[in-house]
Amino acid sequence: MRANPDARGLMEIAASTFRADVLPHVAPEARFAALMVANALEIAERELKGLDAAGHSMLGALALLYGEDADDALSGDDLRKRVEALQHRLCIEIAAGDFDQEGQDVLMDALEAIVEARLGISNPKALG
Amino acid sequence: MHVVKASDQSPPSLLSGDNRVRLEQWLAAQAGASRVTVTEDGRLGGGAISLNLAVTLDIVGGPLAGRHACVLRAEGGGRISASIGKLREFVVLRAAFAAGVIAPEPLFGCDDPAVLGHDFYIMRRAEGLGAGHAVTRSDTAQPELARELGRQLGLLHRIRPDTEGLERLGEAPDCPAQETLAQYRRWFGDLGRRDPVIAWGLRWLEVNAPQPGAVVLCHRDFRTGNYLVKDGALTAILDWEFAGFSDPMEDLGWFCARSWRFRRPDREAGGIADRADFYAGYEETSGRLVDPARVAYWETAAYLRWAAIAVEQGLRHSSGAERSLELALTGRMLPEIEMDMLRHLRAISALGGMAAGAVEKVA
Repeated sequence: MRANPDARGLMEIAASTFRADVLPHVAPEARFAALMVANALEIAERELKGLDAAGHSMLGALALLYGEDADDALSGDDLRKRVEALQHRLCIEIAAGDFDQEGQDVLMDALEAIVEARLGISNPKALG
Repeated sequence: MHVVKASDQSPPSLLSGDNRVRLEQWLAAQAGASRVTVTEDGRLGGGAISLNLAVTLDIVGGPLAGRHACVLRAEGGGRISASIGKLREFVVLRAAFAAGVIAPEPLFGCDDPAVLGHDFYIMRRAEGLGAGHAVTRSDTAQPELARELGRQLGLLHRIRPDTEGLERLGEAPDCPAQETLAQYRRWFGDLGRRDPVIAWGLRWLEVNAPQPGAVVLCHRDFRTGNYLVKDGALTAILDWEFAGFSDPMEDLGWFCARSWRFRRPDREAGGIADRADFYAGYEETSGRLVDPARVAYWETAAYLRWAAIAVEQGLRHSSGAERSLELALTGRMLPEIEMDMLRHLRAISALGGMAAGAVEKVA
């Protein structure tokens, strides 16, 4: 049973309240720590809100290489495990030299899409 | 090392009570002085790994008699794999200073745990602005600063592994690229089989490894954020804790990496100027030409090195070894570093790629 507001709702309001009502009043010597707290809260908020969406983006990116394994119906742990399994497979193929000669463009596209999905949670500003 | 420099932790009481007395007695013996008084002026930033304490030494008698503004640099909470320990850092700084590099003069180094418990050394305190965001704030480029940094790096790279006093750093690697690759594999461990960006970076380094060339003393953290500037001029190169023997182009690749351009990613030499300015200064003093393809190779290595350090910093927090929000957030920088590496690899590939012959490959 889910409480209301749930963790996601609490994180969202905590992060925005901290930034709007606490941060402007923090003494200079604590400002660096306060900015880190705001940053951490916002990362956590984005992760609670957008982990599955990021997982699907990563799955979509891996589908560029492994079309048959993409599955839009997955969520939560099942989604995470599928992404991890495909990433592991890709790591093995990379290390074995499968992309040394050809396929580098497709690989680079997939890697960029994977990193973009993770950046969307950890630091969307760096998506540039 | 890096990024988030200030710290929210209260300083350990390194110089409380008996410690101060023991330090003063030890310093008096080292300086041939009749008496040394140490006054603590507060903790300085610039060390997620080291502890930097501003101190004033009042020395009575001996060749160093007088008042000296100094920094006491001690081992911090936890060393990470890339750091070399305080006494080796002292030895490196001494060699660099002797070679004419603009660095704080090292005065005393100590590896006797009976004095402060940790290895430490004392160097002169330099003045200036260090924070990367502040140094790269200038509206106009700073070509003379970049050129001077190039000159300083060139001076450092004249130091060879057989230089007296550097035995403590251990054997110089025959092939820095292969050595680095093996080291990164150890650092990343299992992550190289879970994160395809890391896997591709490692593979790329392997396939494009240049043949061994010159091996010199490298700073290995030579970048904006680790030097001080006053009125636009360089006053000191800091943070020698990662120094070691390597391919000289490694330091140039690290300096130019996107990770250290702060406000000005368009200024490829450390966010302050063009590469050409930095390279020109380097060639003035180093006695060698810059090899841009080799620099590009080491820039890829730079992203992986920074990624490995960020991962390790995050784990220092997550494992409970050292609970810290700063370390935790550094761990979350991994995708950003990986994106920078992918952008760099794209740029290289647009220029025709490396394996195509830009760098001579190891057979």
